[in-house]
Amino acid sequence: MTHASFEAQVDTYLDGELAAGDARALETHLAQCPDCTRFRDGRLELRAAIVAGVPTFQAPPALHERVLAAARGSSSPRAPHRFTVQNVWRPLALAASLAVVALGSWTLALQRAAGEALADDVLASHIRSLMPGHLTDVPSSDQHTVKPWFNGRLDYSPPVYDFAGRGYPLLGGRIDYVGGRAVAALVYGRRQHVINVLLWPAASGPASGPSTRTRQGYHELHWTTPDYTCWLVSDLGLAELQEFVLLLRQADSAAGAR
Amino acid sequence: MESGARFEALVLPHLDAAYTLARYLTRNAQDAEDIVQDACLRALKYLEGFRGEEATSARAWLLTIVRNTAHSWRKRHRPDALAVEFDEMEHSDAVVHDPEAKETLGRALDRLAPEFREVVVLRELQGLSYKEISDVTGVPIGTVMSRLSRARARLQEALREEEVR
Repeated sequence: MTHASFEAQVDTYLDGELAAGDARALETHLAQCPDCTRFRDGRLELRAAIVAGVPTFQAPPALHERVLAAARGSSSPRAPHRFTVQNVWRPLALAASLAVVALGSWTLALQRAAGEALADDVLASHIRSLMPGHLTDVPSSDQHTVKPWFNGRLDYSPPVYDFAGRGYPLLGGRIDYVGGRAVAALVYGRRQHVINVLLWPAASGPASGPSTRTRQGYHELHWTTPDYTCWLVSDLGLAELQEFVLLLRQADSAAGAR
Repeated sequence: MESGARFEALVLPHLDAAYTLARYLTRNAQDAEDIVQDACLRALKYLEGFRGEEATSARAWLLTIVRNTAHSWRKRHRPDALAVEFDEMEHSDAVVHDPEAKETLGRALDRLAPEFREVVVLRELQGLSYKEISDVTGVPIGTVMSRLSRARARLQEALREEEVR
């Protein structure tokens, strides 16, 4: 394989469409080719910029109503339909939802018990991170750049992985403030979705979870490892998030056994 | 299931995706609304011919109709649009814009030719697979890949220009 043909595969690889065997060959090449690595990092940067800056839109309510009326007009009247309610909670267009959701979560935080308040903190952190320029303090797809960046900024060194080969590329990391302490936030991508993973050292206990909750169209998954308490939040589908948590936990236990 | 209920279950959940695609194809909220409505009426009419049951394929099917509606709509209502749009966009650059990154990247996307813009929207915003994009746009997967690659290179240039500024 020539260098050019490897570079041509990077997009396919990041799009999760490269066959597993080819992906492994490309990963081997990436590890030793600074040009290809630069090319890949440029693409990841672009992806993060698109996620942060190019919005999706929500169909105007009037359009929704007209289409619905047309659909119902073409059939006999039926029992009440369920989906209008679901639609309200579907992940909203970023611009429209930020203010509402952030305000809502702050108000609720005041009324909730500690666990709930923490979940609200995590959600607020996620929403904050989606505002332009807030996603990462250290934008990098290289775990060996992101992990050391936390040195001197936190009193622990969080585990950082890159699952680009599985379609969950590392986008970077940042420090956030959750539950009354500074915590590591690791940012992963999945297509146009952002996944925030927040974690901090936990009093040593048995591994548990993940437990799941959904609020305001975002999923929050919470689990603990022997060393850390972990939160994940994203608007990605629950099945894929659970797959991602599985990947993280497998990587954790592989690292622990080493 | 008769067609109205089937439409609500299969097609309506993808209304936001349809509207987003139309917004980027037309770059205009009102046109996008008209096109999506038009496309939904067509979808309703042809739903019986649609055999797929899976949610993702219903989405690709609706997006195909939106895309084709937008193209024929453009020919009918804006026959000169294809010819002048690039000049227009270049000129509009002279206007002072808020120099935020999202503005620049968004405008760079708007300046791409429609066949490049649509693959970016379908891939990066809608998360469609190469196969689905190929189905929606009616071009081979190889063409989808090369268009994506060229479009991304253009957008990265725009991003770099923004960083330099």
